[in-house]
Amino acid sequence: MPMRILIAVLRTIRNSPRLAIGLAILLVMVLVAVFSPLIVKGIGGSTDPLELAAYERWLVPGPDHLLGTDQFGRDVLAMVVSALSVSLQIGAIAGVISTVVGVIVAFVAGYKGGWIDGILSTFTGILLVIPTFPLLIALSAYAKNVSLFQVGVMISIFSWPFAAKTIRAQVLSLRSRPYVDLARVSKARDLEIITTELLPNLLPFIGVGFASSALGAIFGLVGLEVIGLGPGGVIDLGQIIFNAINTGALTLGAWPMFVVPIVLLTLLFAALNMVNIGLEEVYNPRLRGVAGE
Amino acid sequence: MTAEAPPAVATGNSQESASPASGVRAWMSRHPLAAYAVRRFGLYLVELWGALTIAFFFFRLMPGDPIQTLIQSLQQNYIYNQQASAEIIARYRAEFGLDGNLLSQYLVYMKKLILHGDLGPSLISYPTPAQDVILRSLPWTIGLLGIAAVLSWIFGLALGAVAGWRRGKLGSRIMTNLSIALSHVPFFFVALILVYIFAYSLGWLPARSAYDSNINPGFSLAFIGSLLKYGLLPGLSIVLIGTFGWILSTRMLMVPVLGEDYLVYAEAKGLKPWRILTRYALRNCYLPQVTAFGISLGFIFNGNVLVEQLFNYPGLGTTLVTAIQQLDFNTILGVTDIAIFSVLTAVLLLDLLLPLLDPRVKYWK
Repeated sequence: MPMRILIAVLRTIRNSPRLAIGLAILLVMVLVAVFSPLIVKGIGGSTDPLELAAYERWLVPGPDHLLGTDQFGRDVLAMVVSALSVSLQIGAIAGVISTVVGVIVAFVAGYKGGWIDGILSTFTGILLVIPTFPLLIALSAYAKNVSLFQVGVMISIFSWPFAAKTIRAQVLSLRSRPYVDLARVSKARDLEIITTELLPNLLPFIGVGFASSALGAIFGLVGLEVIGLGPGGVIDLGQIIFNAINTGALTLGAWPMFVVPIVLLTLLFAALNMVNIGLEEVYNPRLRGVAGE
Repeated sequence: MTAEAPPAVATGNSQESASPASGVRAWMSRHPLAAYAVRRFGLYLVELWGALTIAFFFFRLMPGDPIQTLIQSLQQNYIYNQQASAEIIARYRAEFGLDGNLLSQYLVYMKKLILHGDLGPSLISYPTPAQDVILRSLPWTIGLLGIAAVLSWIFGLALGAVAGWRRGKLGSRIMTNLSIALSHVPFFFVALILVYIFAYSLGWLPARSAYDSNINPGFSLAFIGSLLKYGLLPGLSIVLIGTFGWILSTRMLMVPVLGEDYLVYAEAKGLKPWRILTRYALRNCYLPQVTAFGISLGFIFNGNVLVEQLFNYPGLGTTLVTAIQQLDFNTILGVTDIAIFSVLTAVLLLDLLLPLLDPRVKYWK
């Protein structure tokens, strides 16, 4: 069974270069994040490159410090690598939580229909129009010293409606397919129909929901950090950008401090979006060739 | 609320004569458009009420005591230099709508908001009411954001149509892939790079504020020039990224239309390609983009907070961040309420106007 899934995934990727490129970029980033402690150690050698005053302050990029050092004498490359890992973790945590909540809401609403759908959809719609950024800023006031996981939970409070909306539309279209009717006629229970008939067919859209929630979560945290309201103790890529702005890296010409995090995040957003569009292209026949070549 | 195929308005009269039923149901079947408008308006009210309520309780549950902050700031300014008595604190509580339990606070707030459009006093510039503080910064945001949003919509629609029209060609493919890669990049990143290049490295354009403080605000050429000069970088960063998103969605709407029979016919008739593109293809796919534009206004607001903050632009975003730093509940809530109200109203108006613009759109049965 796992072998079959793997083959199916590989076949899908082969058919969509966009999906392949997106996943490849993500994979490289995840690998860098996973091995970030080793990379940081490799950069520092005997000293910890993230320690305050590990080196001289504001060193320009050179062979010893590929991206220079910051205002506290920390190695920028080492900081960026470990911050990337934090950003990815936030995306993964918030992405998983909001996808799970979104999937549950979408299935209950889309499959049950009727007034339950009415109430849930209206509620999702209401949450969608509330601008999330002010609420997120307000939430950050609660959270001065919180763990990475708590930040993820905080952000996913606002990102699940997007996932729910995307998936519900698909549940609605799948619900009336003949094979679902067949399962219903043969007296399968609701839960059984959902897990064996609907869920496998919705996997790509759940993937889309996950990618967009992760994207939203990373962006949300970066936004908080950039205006200096991020939760303390979490150093993600946004925090580095905030430091760069606040310490005057712009005027000092210390461009690696903000250009590198921005390029990395842009690459990450591009990769997630490519996965999104790639998945939709492959699994939504109406779009096949539409968004493509 | 799905798009239903005809028979709708035209058959109204025949139904009327066929079934002389009375009551609401009959009226609704005789006036489908009006019934749809009433139902849609009802949904609007429910959504508006729900969103405002959620926002209210969300911010009230925030920790921190704004009255203490106010008294501290008054003491710092020597307006008030004795220890605050319980009586005075109670008076301020009443003024800020913070007395009584949460439910009565909510009722008082909603009553003032609906009947008088009153958001309560602000804290960041006490005793000015929050609605005045917001109204002062609103024109800046509308000016910057409104113009940038409209421009990126127009550019995106035009470029997206061309990208769809010339699909398969190298230029179109580059544009599509570029859009996919860049459409989700925060405005703020582009803004930061632009500031670094044009303001700090080259020194061509200013990096902060909305106009030259040496020029008196007014309808003078110098002031308008200064406005444009200062608004160029923040506006450009929004337009650059915003356009990519619209290119992608327009292209996705455009390509299926290009396969339609009536386009083949138009081509066979010998119409000029430009005319086919604008009058036949684009006209049939731009309406969903009008709706999407209304919805997008709210999301642009999210990203815009950061851009305004970076440029120290005196708009809603900067006001919001200042208000949050000083625990100014009334202003924070007011900004959120305005964003909610404008998005919902925009979507409502577009939903009501769309059936008039496009005869194919039928929401009613």
